[in-house]
Amino acid sequence: MSDKGQDVDLTRAKQNTGVWLVKVPKYLSQQWAKASGRGEVGKLKIGKAQGKTAVSFSLNEELTVVHCSGEKVSSVRSPREHPFTIQTVGGQSLAVFTETSDKLALEGMVVQRAECRPAVTESYMKLKKLQIEESTKPLRLSQKLEKAVTTNYKPVSNHSHNVEYEKKKKEEGKRARADKQKVLEMLFSAFEKHQYYNIRDLVDITKQPVIYLKEILREIGVYNSRGPHKSTWELKPEYRHYEEGQEDEEEKME
Amino acid sequence: MRQQTKEEEFLDANGASCFRLLLNFVINGTSCSAVMTSLGSSSSSTTEYVVRVPKNTSKKYNIMAFNAGDKVSCSTWTQARMERDMSNRRIYGEEETQEGAAGSEFGKKQREEARRKKYGIVTKEFKVEDQPWILKVNGKAGRRFKGLKKGGVTENASYYIFTQSADGAFEAFPVHSWYNFTPQAKHRTLTAEEAEEEWGRRNKVVNHFSIMLQRRLRGQERGEEEEEEGEKGGKKKKKKEGRGGDLRIHDLEDDLEMSSDESDGSNGDDDEAKSKAKKEKGPKGKGKKKKKKDSDLEGFEDSDDGDFEGLEVDYMSDESSSEEEQQEKTKHNKGEDVPKGIDEMSESEEESEEENKNEEDGKEEEEEEDGKKTPVQVEKKKKKDSSGESDSSEDSDIEGEAASALFMKKRTPPKRGGGRGSAGSSRTGSRPGTPSIDNAATSNTLRAAANKLEQGKRQTTVPSTETPAAKRLKMEPSPQSSSGKSTPQPVSGKSTPSSSDVLLTEDAVRRYLIRKPMTTKDLLKKFQTKRTGLSSEQTVNVLAQILKRLNPERKNINDKMHFYLTE
Repeated sequence: MSDKGQDVDLTRAKQNTGVWLVKVPKYLSQQWAKASGRGEVGKLKIGKAQGKTAVSFSLNEELTVVHCSGEKVSSVRSPREHPFTIQTVGGQSLAVFTETSDKLALEGMVVQRAECRPAVTESYMKLKKLQIEESTKPLRLSQKLEKAVTTNYKPVSNHSHNVEYEKKKKEEGKRARADKQKVLEMLFSAFEKHQYYNIRDLVDITKQPVIYLKEILREIGVYNSRGPHKSTWELKPEYRHYEEGQEDEEEKME
Repeated sequence: MRQQTKEEEFLDANGASCFRLLLNFVINGTSCSAVMTSLGSSSSSTTEYVVRVPKNTSKKYNIMAFNAGDKVSCSTWTQARMERDMSNRRIYGEEETQEGAAGSEFGKKQREEARRKKYGIVTKEFKVEDQPWILKVNGKAGRRFKGLKKGGVTENASYYIFTQSADGAFEAFPVHSWYNFTPQAKHRTLTAEEAEEEWGRRNKVVNHFSIMLQRRLRGQERGEEEEEEGEKGGKKKKKKEGRGGDLRIHDLEDDLEMSSDESDGSNGDDDEAKSKAKKEKGPKGKGKKKKKKDSDLEGFEDSDDGDFEGLEVDYMSDESSSEEEQQEKTKHNKGEDVPKGIDEMSESEEESEEENKNEEDGKEEEEEEDGKKTPVQVEKKKKKDSSGESDSSEDSDIEGEAASALFMKKRTPPKRGGGRGSAGSSRTGSRPGTPSIDNAATSNTLRAAANKLEQGKRQTTVPSTETPAAKRLKMEPSPQSSSGKSTPQPVSGKSTPSSSDVLLTEDAVRRYLIRKPMTTKDLLKKFQTKRTGLSSEQTVNVLAQILKRLNPERKNINDKMHFYLTE
């Protein structure tokens, strides 16, 4: 039962490593994604002032450039200072586990929760304004056209697709009646794969004219007009050997 | 050194453990000075750390959230296994029932797909990523958790895990998903249907411990029925023990169940439970314990005081043990629930049962719940039931029960639970002969009492149905017939009226009839049994005689025959 599961690597958990769970605003995480090199994104300042700890994160200079869709580029900069508000873990005990393609590992327990807030500055307000504008734009837009579109749906004497189809049909020609034995062979091999067949599908498979095929089918098969497999042909019971698998159908044939 | 002192200051000032951890790293780390820059200032001291967001994305970080109340501590885990819970696959991913050969159609899949597209049926994909986790801690005997994915975590804000690396820098990893883990109960719980059943009986059942016990026994019976008898002899015990051992003590109920199940216990309850457990295993080895068990135990419910007031029911207990029980219980204190329950259970389990008991129980339960059946009807029904059975002693039991029921109305549930069909014969075989002897002895007297009661009831019912007819012809034969039986009484009644305000005399009747025409019913009302000191039967007789003597005139008013006299 538990063989399917993966063993969780508890080595790091045993070290009692404490981690922080920090909630970071979306724009900031986007900026962090643009980080280069080793991935250094900024500096975390942990200070103690009047008995309280103050944690603040300051973003690196180069990452403050915000790319926004539209004309203005780098006119708005994201704020640099982000104080953290510290919260308690409280009613939940949170653990961190990692998943790689083959392994699961428990990394540690969360000891502190924090929220990264941007320092409220003018630039931040502008940034937010831009964001709001972007988000309020509707996904679909109605646009007025000056000229009617005339590039589609030009009248055609015969569609290319149609032309191809007719050519194919012509070269194929009418289906010729093949040898009865051969047809029976084809049918039996088909019925080995599936039990029920539509007449159209059988015609496709055997490439025989319908009437001829029907005659042969009437000999060896039966037509289900009702039931779960409606309007399908299947082999007569004496010709069926579905449980045992392959058997010599040749013997069964007449 | 200077830095160290500052860090120590830190430690003193901040109780937060994170900082301790942090600074442990820092102190023990090697090139801490390169990274740290302490901005010196008198009032506050800050340390800076570089924050890195690593680029390699092969490792996905997830949050495992436990409820604080579950008291989960990862440090106590010695071993943990985790896997995805794939049980929803069959709902979402339509499994291919059969491919190829028999039963399949050519091109079925394509046709089905085309059909679904045509009707716009969109089925949700089965995403392995979104499936819950099953976490098993400390192997088979440990705890199990189920982790459900919490949605909407990464939509508006991103969570990052900040860990401190060896060089003192912080590394931030984005959280991929959040799973809320809840512990899974290892003890048996009721299914929805069973819970509904029990809810319906919540007012009656006082012994809640028996509920889970019954369920477990029911499960065991079913398991036994499926497997061969002989094979399981020794294994049954182990199974039972194993199940008892698997129980986790979560609350008192489970506690008591556990103790009652295991053979070793220290308190008095357990002693009884011990014997019960042993007895259980005994008959189990013998034969199949049927589903009767739960119905048997069902019987041992306590009913409230008022439930059976006015209900003179006889209960069929074809097994004398229940009678014995009753007689014991009249003496015993009826207050205790738990010991009584176990007692009853132990005694009932000694009996071997047959399959029709369930039906009977159902029937009897209905009766009880109906509440108001006349004793006659009840008895008739019971007689019908009993006629199906072969044991002769049962008849005596039935009638014995009839009277004993009148003594002890409250004992009706256990008696009903005990009352079963022809098992009486087999049960008496398994027990010594004393119960049956007792039964026989008491039944004679009880039978006599029962018969008397029956007769009395029959008599009352017969005249009462006839008086409303108010035809003189009818009245004449009936008083005559009944007077034959009860002549001494009305005479005495008339001559010695005991502390009554109203005397049923000829004069009184005459007065009434002169005043205004009355029907016989009205007259009877005037001379109520309570006030005249006569029974209703006697009143009727006497009144009839008086009317005969008076010979009043008759008038039909509102289709009713009224009598009246003129002065």
